[in-house]
Amino acid sequence: MRHKSVSYAKYGYIFLVPFVAAFLFFSLYPIIYTLVISMSDLKGVGTASFSILANPFQNFINIAKNELFQKSLATTGIIWILNFIPQMALALLLTAWFTNERLRVRGQGAFKVLLYMPNIITSGTIAVLFYSLFSYPIGPVNSLVTMLGLTDRPYEFLRDASVARGLIAFIQFWMWYGNTMIVLIAGVLGISPAIFDAAAIDGANSLKTFLYVTLPSLRQIMLYTLITSLIGGLQMFDIPKLFTNGGPDNATQTASVYIFNQAFTGSYQYNRAAAASMLMFVITAIFSGALFYLMRDKDAQKAKKQRKLLEKAAALNGGAQA
Amino acid sequence: MKKLLRALALVMAAMLALSACGSGAAPSGTESGGEAANVQANPGVKTINLWSFTDEVPGMVEDYKKLHPDLPYDFKTTIIATSDGGYQIALDAALAAGGAEAPDIFCAEAAFIKKYVEGPFTATYKSLGIDVDAEAKAAGIAQYTMDVGSYNGEVKGLGYQATGGAFIYRRSLAKEVLGSDEPNAVQEAIKDWDSFFDTARKMKAAGYAMVSGDGDLWHPMENSRKGKWIEDNKLVLDDNVMQFFEFSKILKQEGLSNETTDWTEAWYADMAGTGVKPVFGFFGPAWLINYVMKGNSGGTAPGEGTYGDWGVCVPTTGFYWGGTWVLANANTTAKAEVADLIRWITLDSSDTGLQASWALGDTVASSVVMEKTDGHWEFIGNQDAFEVFVPANEKADGHTLGPFDENINSLFRDQVREYASGNKDKEQAVADFQMGVANIVDLDS
Amino acid sequence: MTKMSPTKVVIYVVCILLAVLSIMPFWIMFVNSTRSTVEIQGGISLLPSSHFMSNLSILLNKGFNPMVGFVNSFAIAAGATLCGVYFSSLTAYALVAYHFKARQAFFTFIMCVLMIPAQVSAIGFYQFMYQLHWVNSIWPLILPSIAAPAMVFFMRQYLLSTLSIEMVEAARIDGSGEFATFNRIILPLMAPAIATQAIFAFVGSWNSLFTPMILLTSKDRYTMPIMVNLLRGDIYRTEFGSIYLGLAMTSLPLFVVYFLLSRYIIAGVALGGVKE
Repeated sequence: MRHKSVSYAKYGYIFLVPFVAAFLFFSLYPIIYTLVISMSDLKGVGTASFSILANPFQNFINIAKNELFQKSLATTGIIWILNFIPQMALALLLTAWFTNERLRVRGQGAFKVLLYMPNIITSGTIAVLFYSLFSYPIGPVNSLVTMLGLTDRPYEFLRDASVARGLIAFIQFWMWYGNTMIVLIAGVLGISPAIFDAAAIDGANSLKTFLYVTLPSLRQIMLYTLITSLIGGLQMFDIPKLFTNGGPDNATQTASVYIFNQAFTGSYQYNRAAAASMLMFVITAIFSGALFYLMRDKDAQKAKKQRKLLEKAAALNGGAQA
Repeated sequence: MKKLLRALALVMAAMLALSACGSGAAPSGTESGGEAANVQANPGVKTINLWSFTDEVPGMVEDYKKLHPDLPYDFKTTIIATSDGGYQIALDAALAAGGAEAPDIFCAEAAFIKKYVEGPFTATYKSLGIDVDAEAKAAGIAQYTMDVGSYNGEVKGLGYQATGGAFIYRRSLAKEVLGSDEPNAVQEAIKDWDSFFDTARKMKAAGYAMVSGDGDLWHPMENSRKGKWIEDNKLVLDDNVMQFFEFSKILKQEGLSNETTDWTEAWYADMAGTGVKPVFGFFGPAWLINYVMKGNSGGTAPGEGTYGDWGVCVPTTGFYWGGTWVLANANTTAKAEVADLIRWITLDSSDTGLQASWALGDTVASSVVMEKTDGHWEFIGNQDAFEVFVPANEKADGHTLGPFDENINSLFRDQVREYASGNKDKEQAVADFQMGVANIVDLDS
Repeated sequence: MTKMSPTKVVIYVVCILLAVLSIMPFWIMFVNSTRSTVEIQGGISLLPSSHFMSNLSILLNKGFNPMVGFVNSFAIAAGATLCGVYFSSLTAYALVAYHFKARQAFFTFIMCVLMIPAQVSAIGFYQFMYQLHWVNSIWPLILPSIAAPAMVFFMRQYLLSTLSIEMVEAARIDGSGEFATFNRIILPLMAPAIATQAIFAFVGSWNSLFTPMILLTSKDRYTMPIMVNLLRGDIYRTEFGSIYLGLAMTSLPLFVVYFLLSRYIIAGVALGGVKE
């Protein structure tokens, strides 16, 4: 049995070739290019020649110390948390409802299909729609709040930093909770039914089953959602760019919008944009690594260690026997 | 693994170096200066690539082809919208990459033309064989359009429009509040900014708004700068333009405008008089009248909506707003062919030139053409628009435009709005503006 | 009438509310595509108007060619989706079915690739493509999806819970080659996961604006979002009615693809945890 799997191992490598080739060609060159630029003096339209700076890390130091970049990181974090916590909460709630055999929610097929729908509309359309919804001084939301008597005069929503951030977080939440829900449901369906049967026999109620059986089994899938959402969140670009263009007063300038503005506006400071990109990569890697560590499967880890010890012992035994 | 990485890095570095050499080659023979170069037609030219951000110039090319049915080459037009910055990113990449796909002719608007005029890719008109000084003089090209399109005294781009601005006012409101709708009377009421705000308060008392939003005040303010935003690689806070802080605050706090943002639905509504309050006027060039206000006036003939109820007078300060300039790639292999088209669009003041037809709905760069054209427009109560716009073009100053103005202006206006809304004091707003500029422009500190 | 428990009432109220929130923007978009610019500026309405034809003629006059846009968008989105799901499945299969030395290392590598922000390589990618003169070609928009780390991760989770190595062994005994086994036995097995990911990928590719806008500069290569964006970029006047019509036309094909594949969303995909 063992030698057989070894003889097939080469197919493992062969099947990875397309992925690696596409990555090398389309991603690695641009990444290395970006890395080189981040240490150079490249800026300005049409400049193609550049030289590496005397201190290759000068751009990194400048960017790390830059107040607006720091603010953009904080903005990114705030908007992501404002969007992710309710998104995860709602997705989990819906997952609990839709996968609960006892509740038997009717029409859940239609609900699943509908709740995912905000994800298929383009960011551009959403930006245009929300902009006209909240437009000032005349706009639907302003008519509504004055009609309800909440304010006596129209309110300039998009000039208010917290409102603008809140709206972007809401849009992100609304676009993505359906997606998260579908992935979480997929995770629940993957849990062996035997576990649920056992819980039912033990007399656990729905809430307890969800908390103590479903959630722990979902750890890997939640890690996937968390990581992809974190990465997507750190790269949040479309909505803040198209809806508020980073304003008002940079309140919605996320790190990606900041990088875009560095590279493609003003004096086209590619080098600083590249350095900021690299810093973003490091930050993403640190956060993802931390998540991996926090959410690692401790039991599996233990089992693996034990298995390794056993294998070692077996190998020693075998060696002694030979 | 380490070895492999190192080898990879080397290959990448080599590729980089190669590509840098390939695209970094200096454009040859562009800075000849002095006399116009003697350029021969190139029989090898098959296609001329034209890049634009609207269908305006590509539409002209269609007319050009009709006028010259036996051209031995064809035009390939590329249109990329300026929204979200797409046009410039693609254009920059295409210019830098060169080759047969590279644009031969490309358009730029006032917002970003300086970047290209001062950049390495743009040919001087003289190097294309255009005797630009003599031809511009013969056509009476508005001086500011030449200044905008020039770098170090060499013309690299000209336009077909003239975009000198006027004050465009509602006649009925002028009659009611000021007692007369004559351009001279209205001009007297807005002759300087003090008079302007006095009139604005009168309008408010009568239940009207002076302007639609702060954007309407911005364009004359922007052009009142004495110099560029960036001089000697330092940001200059010009006294005139800094007045915009206080003016915006007055507009907002005293409720003299409808507080709209330009190019939004509420702003268009004010052109039809259906906004929060009827609006007295807009600062704008002729294109604002014919391409924006006309379609948004809520009517198509006098008496419908605000159609016909407008007039134009000399603005509080001279200014221009917008415009499209036509530039040529320094590396084009079709110099003579490119020159022919550019000449027809920008310098030809004959009856078959582009501007003769363009002048039917807009003001054009050539004053010779405008003199031949009737400027009595129904939309402004049959007033002769050219009487106001020709002098307006002369008052516009093309020297104050710099390459980063589009971005600097939007940062400035954002901070002015913060101040006018009372979100921060002026000192803080100015400091934040300076920081914003320092972030996108590489300044000497 | 049977009585509903209070919990169920809450569930239905919440779900219906969310469903309305989901439908609203689409409804407004379709309604606005039948309204004139002036009407749209006047505010939001939930009832269609009668300007569909005039919006359509504005759209067509502005160089919006729905057929060209549709063909280009479809070629790119379908190509990218096929490449993405096929090669991600293949990569995931390699990671699950074969025991080779670098397996764990490669999985870590894929997770690292997942973390690289798009902005990191965007500048380099555009410059690289222009230097290669690989502009106005659909390949730079399709081929990069061969290396889609998030999809590989998803497919791997799916295979971990559904693949039984016995099936593979049985195929080997029948004399099936490894590649044929993957194509004939494994791919059909993965259909639910593929359908789910195909929806995500197709939607993402269909809606993407920025990279196509930079790389596709020739008119006959424009995708539908580029054409709509061109309307938005008109310097003088924004024709909201025709923009909404353009957006509506852009999203119609998405609806078709989405509803065709939606039975997989209803049925659900079973994803397993990492249990080795």
